[in-house]
Amino acid sequence: MRTYELIFVVDPRVSDEDVVTMTQEYKAMITAGGSTITSEENWGRRKLAYPIEKLGEGKYVLLNISSEGGATRLPEVEHRMRQNDKILRYLTVRTDEDLKRAARRKQAAPAASSTPAGSEAARDGDTEGAEPGEEI
Amino acid sequence: MARPRKVFFRRRKVCKFCADKIDYIDYKDVKLLQQFIPERSKILPRRISGTCARHQRFLQQAIKRARHLALIPFTTD
Repeated sequence: MRTYELIFVVDPRVSDEDVVTMTQEYKAMITAGGSTITSEENWGRRKLAYPIEKLGEGKYVLLNISSEGGATRLPEVEHRMRQNDKILRYLTVRTDEDLKRAARRKQAAPAASSTPAGSEAARDGDTEGAEPGEEI
Repeated sequence: MARPRKVFFRRRKVCKFCADKIDYIDYKDVKLLQQFIPERSKILPRRISGTCARHQRFLQQAIKRARHLALIPFTTD
């Protein structure tokens, strides 16, 4: 299973409702490609660290995506974002490998923390191992 | 109080991420990243911050991602 984070910055002149509908469109594209949206965060208006297209602010939207391997529609989604003038920036990051690696390190040195149980189980099919603190 | 001998201590630098057991450096965590971008918004070198090579690498990646999203600046002028 692969997890991705897709974050994009929308022109602040776009109304909140339009941001939502835009997000819906992209979400529909992603789910149509066989992936699921695990969570969604709308950060709202945020000051940009530097002006982009002479704009000082942007509206941030973050999507967490999970996909069962194989093809995703993400390249397509990215392509559409590139063409959309209202999107100032976007970034897709594949997170499962990094999170898994982090979880593995956590397990090696038992520490009370939240391990992403989903990715942990996917790695070795051992759900018991997700909580190293329980065994001690 | 000591004799006039050259005794100077250098504080041992410890990798913040190893100490805090942070294994995934999130590019969205602006507060965390900000600690590693001084005045001119450059990435703080390892030799100053004491970050281990491994974590510096992750940090670098995270900072560059955050810059792209305008969460942190490339430079201050």
